[in-house]
Amino acid sequence: MSDTLAGVAAPMGVVVTPATAARRGRRRPRRLLGLIVPLLVLVCWQLAWQWELKPRTIIPSPHEVLTAADAFFFGERVAGLSGVVYFKGAGWSHLATSLGRCGQAWVVAVVVGVVLGLGLGLSRWVADLLDPFTNALRAVPLFAWLPLAAVWFGVNPTSGKILIFIGALWPVLVATTDSVARVPAAQIEAARMLGTPRSRLWRRVYLPSALPEIVTGLRLSLTLAWTCVIIGELGGTTDGVGAMMNAAREAGRTEQIIVGILVFAVIGFAADRLLRLLSRRFVSWSDT
Amino acid sequence: MTEALGRLVAKGVCKSFGSLPVLDGIDLDVSAGRTLALLGPSGCGKSTLLRVMAGFESFDAGTVTVDGEPVTGPSPTRGMVAQAGTLFPWLTVRQNVGFGPRDRGDRQAAETVTELLAATGLSDFADALPRQLSGGMRQRAAIAQVLANRPPLLLLDEPFGALDAQTRLRMHEWVRGLLAERPTTTVLVTHDVDEALLLGDQLGLLSARPAKVVALRDVPFGSDRGRHTLADPAFVSLKAGVLNEVLEAS
Ligand SMILES: Nc1ncnc2c1ncn2[C@@H]1O[C@H](COP(=O)(O)OP(=O)(O)O)[C@@H](O)[C@H]1O
Ligand SMILES: [Mg+2]
Repeated sequence: MSDTLAGVAAPMGVVVTPATAARRGRRRPRRLLGLIVPLLVLVCWQLAWQWELKPRTIIPSPHEVLTAADAFFFGERVAGLSGVVYFKGAGWSHLATSLGRCGQAWVVAVVVGVVLGLGLGLSRWVADLLDPFTNALRAVPLFAWLPLAAVWFGVNPTSGKILIFIGALWPVLVATTDSVARVPAAQIEAARMLGTPRSRLWRRVYLPSALPEIVTGLRLSLTLAWTCVIIGELGGTTDGVGAMMNAAREAGRTEQIIVGILVFAVIGFAADRLLRLLSRRFVSWSDT
Repeated sequence: MTEALGRLVAKGVCKSFGSLPVLDGIDLDVSAGRTLALLGPSGCGKSTLLRVMAGFESFDAGTVTVDGEPVTGPSPTRGMVAQAGTLFPWLTVRQNVGFGPRDRGDRQAAETVTELLAATGLSDFADALPRQLSGGMRQRAAIAQVLANRPPLLLLDEPFGALDAQTRLRMHEWVRGLLAERPTTTVLVTHDVDEALLLGDQLGLLSARPAKVVALRDVPFGSDRGRHTLADPAFVSLKAGVLNEVLEAS
């Protein structure tokens, strides 16, 4: 059988076509291109500080921010007068708290979103029952929930988690519902013909077939969740990156606020990359 | 070998899609273990007929039975390879071939799958994904996937239509060998006269839509058919005659 080897580079791993090879080669200089704007911003920032365009308490120097970041994560933690030290050496603990809050609410949103999405996508009956309701709720801007949550729970991490849950729910729910509804009828027929009982179709065909799109929804929802975590930390707590930033604002420490912003940026970016890596690993069969 | 199963009988099968009549009183009787090749012009209702036999499609009149049992829905005893192939893109070749046995709780699944992978020449590609296979390999995997259930009846819908001529010929020889080792009643739908005469024990001609069986005859060649048969004068003249009939029917 001489066509056995035709067109296939290796039994395992991805077939490297000239197109992907070329794209890979071109990626390096492009990445360097991406550094130009941040560097430009950094230079302008430094100049603004040097020429003192604004008081130095409002625009701290990049060096001050860097020193603050170092103190935040690597400084020695000392008990303050009130017993609460929000900044020096508290970085990892604030970060862990924020990640925990975000992760908790996000995981709940993912589970609810996928289960509800499977129900909506698989059952006409569930769809007729819930579609108008979920669509109406989805039309409410995320931050419109904030006043209500504040009245019920106060401005605190609980409200924050509820906001994260709501914000993270929709992308997962929509992605799951749509992708499940789009599973090719031929795949369902094939499974039925091969002997898969109806009750197992969702696990054997619907879920795996829809997975690449669901994972895209997960990425979107994680970004949103991380965006929402700070809202719940602006009151009612002394833990979390957001609480640190709030305390820094009250203390007039701009460089500490900027450290918080950088932490949010780095973690948000890293989380998305991680999820993308995981999705490449687990849904590598689809070409995304 | 146990007693051959899989006698397929269709009587007066009619089917319309809305106001479009597609099947118009199809009568067929395929003995257990034999291969019926169905030739018909494109769009005449060949796929629809196979889907009716597989139990995917309801019909308006007539009966379809396998070993006396009426067909009411899809079943692992009636394996169908659809025109576009039915491999699941997220599963490896081995998982695809083992899909049916696994879901039916077949204890010997692993052995069956290993044996079928060898028979389909896919042992080295057991852990590859469908998109990493060539067209011919993909079709062999799709056939192996269905045969893993050991169905008494095999339904093939233009399984090699998308392949180039050489690969297709190789696949014909391979299918002959495969089915010789595993006697399986087969209905093969095709628009390729060579394919019908190389693989069929019986040849059925369908009319243009709505499809009727306009001719049914035995194919006068033995089991040693292969590429050499194509040059056989008897084959050549038979092919010319059949081609003529097909053109008249459409
Ligand atoms: N699900 C369907 N709904 C409506 N019309 C269909 C459907 N499936 C097939 N048809 C029509 O039935 C006719 C026969 O189709 P098909 O069985 O696929 O033909 P063939 O396989 O012989 O090319 C075509 O005219 C096609 O448009
Ligand atoms: Mg067809």
